[in-house]
Amino acid sequence: MPTALVVAEPGNTGSTAVLELDGALRLEGFEVEHAVPDDLMLNRPSPDLLLVSAALGLQRVALLCQRFVVDGRTPTVVAFPDDDIGALEECVRGGFDYVTRPFLPSLLRSRVNSCFERWQLSSTVEEMAALASLREYERELSIAREIQAGFLPESMPELDGWEIAASFRPARQVAGDFYDVFTLVNGRRLAFVVADVCDKGVGAALFMALIRTLLRHTAEHTGLVQLSGDDLTAVVGGASYPAPLPLLSLGAGPLVQAVVGTNRYMARNHLKQGYFATMFFGVLDPRSGDLVYINGGHNPPVMVRADGRQSLLPPTGPAVGILPDSSYTLGHVRLGPGDALFTYTDGVVEARNADHGLYGTARLQEVLARPGVNAGDLLEAVDSAVRHFVGTAEQSDDITTLALRRTPR
Amino acid sequence: MSFKINMNVEGDTATIRLAGELDGRSAPELNDLVSQAVGRQVAKLVLLLDELTYMSSAGVRCLVFAHQKLPRGSEITLVGTQPEVAETIRLTGFDRSIMMR
Repeated sequence: MPTALVVAEPGNTGSTAVLELDGALRLEGFEVEHAVPDDLMLNRPSPDLLLVSAALGLQRVALLCQRFVVDGRTPTVVAFPDDDIGALEECVRGGFDYVTRPFLPSLLRSRVNSCFERWQLSSTVEEMAALASLREYERELSIAREIQAGFLPESMPELDGWEIAASFRPARQVAGDFYDVFTLVNGRRLAFVVADVCDKGVGAALFMALIRTLLRHTAEHTGLVQLSGDDLTAVVGGASYPAPLPLLSLGAGPLVQAVVGTNRYMARNHLKQGYFATMFFGVLDPRSGDLVYINGGHNPPVMVRADGRQSLLPPTGPAVGILPDSSYTLGHVRLGPGDALFTYTDGVVEARNADHGLYGTARLQEVLARPGVNAGDLLEAVDSAVRHFVGTAEQSDDITTLALRRTPR
Repeated sequence: MSFKINMNVEGDTATIRLAGELDGRSAPELNDLVSQAVGRQVAKLVLLLDELTYMSSAGVRCLVFAHQKLPRGSEITLVGTQPEVAETIRLTGFDRSIMMR
């Protein structure tokens, strides 16, 4: 007498599907046994026919089959739906055969016969298990990607007289790049960050989540000026500007605390893992156009003046998390009407074409030289220029860009 | 671009020669050699970089790693660093923790 083994989740062993299947198999002359997945840890003889509930999920179905491999051969494996048709689809996409209700004895016999024949021809269980693992891995990654998207701002703050645009294009499912834009001090300051966690992929993505959170949380929860002297040597960058010390201006406190605090946290807790982030963190006074910033080892953003002149904002301190006792200097610029600031990650200037050439800063500055372009169009111009340059080559690094522009009078 | 790496340990000094591009793909090879060097208790790490044409942030991460793993007070020296590579390291501020010649 041929043997059949029906495997279902413990909660489903008495389900309509299982009972119907049992009845139909017996009428067709099978000797039927039932099991839950945990029973199968023990060695048990291979049945002729293995019916597995799709509710177990593709990964477990595939692993379960591997337990029955004897001399490289397995019983005929057929999946059946235990109420969840989506789970069955997943198994079918994974390469498994299937039967569905109603389980009428004659129909079942004919399905099982054709499944048996197909099974003999189909790929080995090892291949299917590998495929199932890959799918599972991809699924996990796409979940990670969704979660990571939640670490980017949902929408941009709207500020009269200012345009803000940002774009984020990861090279893989998940990225080490990020940007953030939020308001501080009851909307009187606009904070923005463009950062790049070294390396890429899952490791960088985990640190991205940590660093973004530390920066934003600290910035949002720091009072106006409460700096302890040993953490900071703050001086005014670009000393030619005759204004009150930016250090004393609203928003400088949160900025410094966020960067210094994050660096201290990273150095204290994660130095051994060797991850660090380069970042540009700016705090803008939308009324005056004054911008105080810290550039922690990041590619210099480009200031594009209304008249087309350009200047770069080089680092004012090291990358965050790279050294335990880093000190940061505050930089300062003022954006007048029509002035724009373009901030980006190294994925832009280190983009490569098929000949392996680098895009480079010179090409970027050329694109930025087109006058009178609004923030959104500026990003698009850069993006399309980079895409054009890269051509058919694969995008090798995450690309993040952010443009801030004061609308012309 | 092909990446080449080899290491030579003499006394308390490990010398690693790198050629090609040090990026996310090749970085694990350097990390492996650094771990080996640490296992052999070297006090000096010399990187010969005259044939290294590119270093990504993953490459800088290797240097940070090496700095972490080597005992305190160990020296890391970069020799023959090409301008682009030196610029990448300088940008991150990590040049303060190593010597570049």
